[in-house]
Amino acid sequence: MSASLAFAPIGELAVRLRSGEITAASLVQCYADRIATLNATSKAFISLDIDRASATAESLAIGPGDNPLKAIPYACKDLFDVNGMVTSGGSRVLADNVAVHDAEVVTRMNQSGAIFIGKNNLHEFAYGATGENTLYGTAPNPYDQSRLAGGSSSGSAAALGYGLCAAALGTDTGGSVRAPAALCGLVGFKPTFGRISTEGVIPFSWTLDHVGTLTRSAADTALLFNVLADKVKAPAAVKLEELRIGIPEGFFFARADTEILDSIDYLLNFLRNSGARLKPVTMPSMEHSRGVSLTVQMPEALSYHNRYLEQRGDLYSQDFRAGLALGQCLLAEQYIRAKRFIESYRRDMDKIFDGIDLLLTPATPVIAPKIGAIDVTVDGQTEPAGNAITRYTSFFNMTGHPAITLPCGMHSEGLPIAAQLIGKHHGDEQLIAAATLIESSYDFKLPLPVIN
Amino acid sequence: MKRLQQQTLLGIRDQFGSYAWEDAEISELVDPQLGIITGFQELLDELELLRKVDLGSIPPAGEISDK
Repeated sequence: MSASLAFAPIGELAVRLRSGEITAASLVQCYADRIATLNATSKAFISLDIDRASATAESLAIGPGDNPLKAIPYACKDLFDVNGMVTSGGSRVLADNVAVHDAEVVTRMNQSGAIFIGKNNLHEFAYGATGENTLYGTAPNPYDQSRLAGGSSSGSAAALGYGLCAAALGTDTGGSVRAPAALCGLVGFKPTFGRISTEGVIPFSWTLDHVGTLTRSAADTALLFNVLADKVKAPAAVKLEELRIGIPEGFFFARADTEILDSIDYLLNFLRNSGARLKPVTMPSMEHSRGVSLTVQMPEALSYHNRYLEQRGDLYSQDFRAGLALGQCLLAEQYIRAKRFIESYRRDMDKIFDGIDLLLTPATPVIAPKIGAIDVTVDGQTEPAGNAITRYTSFFNMTGHPAITLPCGMHSEGLPIAAQLIGKHHGDEQLIAAATLIESSYDFKLPLPVIN
Repeated sequence: MKRLQQQTLLGIRDQFGSYAWEDAEISELVDPQLGIITGFQELLDELELLRKVDLGSIPPAGEISDK
């Protein structure tokens, strides 16, 4: 009973809640029991709000016309303000930072009837894709506890991966929702830039930050998006045989694990055989895109954290301080030029989308790295583990296109493989609908993790 | 472009109204040991290449219109 509930998608939970098979209180209790048993292993939660969640659940009456999120327990990365709780950013710096309001997205989730249960671990202030955190520990991958869950929304991915909640909110500045979701066999989504509010969320980089969702299915992503975004439109009917899918050449298929490329090929063949039109597309030059991103990120991060540096500077981790120091030493013209390159990337990508509906890439070039691995090597080339994890995702934080990652294969080392779909600006609804269709049509089902 | 020297960054720290980074942190930017995302010198080399690209009148990225 516990596992079948804990790993059920929201759509299924909503049906079981409405039929009376389960109650809101029993669902909260199911997750609370699992958290009590597994949080020390998963390191998914920094703080919990179980008493309030249980009280809310006890008072809920669920009717047939209610939002499907009603009574669904969810969590959020500890960058999001929740009234009365500490927003730590995963750092000693903000250990006493009690929020006096809810973040906009928390308000929206609560108004839908979803039940907040706790705040998730993360890479300190979202600075890094490995999810390593010296204060709260490093969340391990549910499929192999010697490996990373990925980050920076590491605890959000672990919370779903270990069956500790039904959905989670994260932030994605270079892939920090999509990459950990991909590494943990979940669905990760970031919207069009600006489409979901970041109000009440500790920023990392205003130009690149997106609030995103981690769920068990693309169908569940749609349920969250409907609540979190404004002006949500019903998507037009999507048929596989009418989809025009762009396949970028070069960068997105280079220096990748061969089994990941094989899984993507298998998916592409399925789509082709289903009638989708696959079109090769030439992307803007990606050669310097990571440098462009970094040149924007670090001055913006410094600008925010400057408010704490004088009084609490010694409480930051050493590597984050080094990154902030880098932000101090860039020139204003270099920052502005980087933002102009971002605009240039956006315009080039918009032209590509004139001829296609979606873009498809692998989500990551590597499976989840080992915890503690500094570098990973693919095709004889070595790069920092965090860079590898986000190599295929970070470009779309600059261009601001909506993107979703979904599982599409299992590696021989027992770890999930995922694809990434990218949609047009403000085509979030259509992107999620296409992902949902692919998810339901494609003959692949990820096995649940075996959790001891 | 000449290679970055620690003294240049110490000058920025001391003369530009910067936060008082420790000498060791400034040194990290010139000779990285901690594995920050990329070496600062390599980033500066990259930015020098990008400086030579004519971006015309393209403005900095802002909001994404839904029009």
